[in-house]
Amino acid sequence: MKTWKKFRHVNPATIDEAVSVLESENASVIAGGTDILGAMRFEILPEYPEVLVNLKSIKGLEYIKEEAGMLKIGALTRLEDIAKNNSIREGYTALAEAAHRTASPHIREMGTIGGNICQLTRCWYFRNPDNRFNCIRKGGEKCYAMAGDNRYHSIFGAVKGCIAVNPGDTAPALTALNAKIKTSRRVIEADKFWDMVKPGSTILAPGEIVKEIQVPALSRGMKSSFIKFAVRSSIDFPVVNCAALIGKGQARICLNAVHNMPYRVIKAEEFIKGKAVNEKNADAAGAAAIEKARVLPGEKNKWKIQIARTMVKRAILGCA
Amino acid sequence: MSDNKNKQAEDQEKKGAWKLSRREFLKDAGLVIGSSTVGSIAFSGKAEADTAERAENIPESDNSVTIELTINGGKYRYRVETNWSLRQLLRDEAGLTSPKDWCGGHGACGSCTVIMNGRPVLSCMTVACECDGAVIETAEGIAKEKHPVIDAYIKWNAFQCGYCTPGFITSAKALLDRNPNPTETDVRDALGGNLCRCATYQQHPPAVLEAAGVLRNKKSK
Repeated sequence: MKTWKKFRHVNPATIDEAVSVLESENASVIAGGTDILGAMRFEILPEYPEVLVNLKSIKGLEYIKEEAGMLKIGALTRLEDIAKNNSIREGYTALAEAAHRTASPHIREMGTIGGNICQLTRCWYFRNPDNRFNCIRKGGEKCYAMAGDNRYHSIFGAVKGCIAVNPGDTAPALTALNAKIKTSRRVIEADKFWDMVKPGSTILAPGEIVKEIQVPALSRGMKSSFIKFAVRSSIDFPVVNCAALIGKGQARICLNAVHNMPYRVIKAEEFIKGKAVNEKNADAAGAAAIEKARVLPGEKNKWKIQIARTMVKRAILGCA
Repeated sequence: MSDNKNKQAEDQEKKGAWKLSRREFLKDAGLVIGSSTVGSIAFSGKAEADTAERAENIPESDNSVTIELTINGGKYRYRVETNWSLRQLLRDEAGLTSPKDWCGGHGACGSCTVIMNGRPVLSCMTVACECDGAVIETAEGIAKEKHPVIDAYIKWNAFQCGYCTPGFITSAKALLDRNPNPTETDVRDALGGNLCRCATYQQHPPAVLEAAGVLRNKKSK
């Protein structure tokens, strides 16, 4: 097994201490480690961190509480604890289900919600060991997936030339639930949190650390759901997943793994708003969701369009 | 070029010699404290074992840390390099070979699963220096305490080549520790991250459910 290159390991006691290390050195944060350690072991990025800043040494970042009509989750809360939490399962079903369907049980026991929303893309050119493909997302000039094997890539076009998809499961759930992400500097709406920022997938500034996830409580009569299609259901990243929040004349529906960032299907939301949640309406909303979808050169990702349509339909029916 | 090679060989020789002497040292240490361990590396799973020191080998530096942890009931102190994985520490230093490497460190196969502070975790994706104070259980420890999951696995033939088995055993034990009355779905969920190339999947749920039954019976007696 490949070992990691040498690095210095720092255990800060406070967020401020962590930020100051991040701002002054070539450093990266580590929480659960399941993403960063893989990226480092296989040297997928041109830069290798000299210092790892261990967020687990900061006390008080692991909690789940309900306060003032809002669910608050500490950034270091493990995904398995979110999936098993009864009040999240009952009140914020989409999030509990998304956490439960993330990766494998072991990764859920290690991986944190903060890390999950900040993970790097799984595009196999980007992830190729030893930085073999210096693609657009790494500052290169070419997207190798565009002319190569793009069967898992975007069905809603490129962003800044990159057709990789956001692989997160909790990301669409947090978007549908209209969550906010509190960092060491500011509070960001989930709708604006993800972007194609080389090589990452969030708008976080260098040295900015996610502290808390805030989800507004669902009002009476609203329901949420999450559904995922993966090749091996107990372990894989999504081919397509979808989260929905429906009720009281409102609808928020978000697909993921179909675009560079979680993709809200506004057409489907507008269609289903105020309508009865039934087979016929859900199917029509699914059709509306993929109106703008298009295949990439080579048509290898064509299958994802039909799956996206069905995921939207089933996520809506999950809110019945 | 040839000078370089000679130097490499020399270094390796030195390393090998050191390893041997360390092993011998530990064997002696094992005899002195009267532990009942066997094998080339003395390793006691007994809770009353003295703290074993393995800190002599690595000089203090920015890239190394001393940690203390509990492994299968015994307390140990190691000096580890920051870039060691927990799996590396357990196999190469502690001599516990049950955490396997199959997927090559992607966190994709579950073969290196150990129980850390009650959670089943991937030892290949865990940095050893972050395990200070951790309580760790490996398949060796589970076998030593004669946990019923071992007998159940044998009875149900829940393995063929056996390579992935320690990962399944640790995952199953972690489930039973937290959920004494699991359903078949719970078992399938908990073992969902473990791959078996011999495809013995069908045999695992009945084996784990049987072990759960044995544990419940023991408790009620």
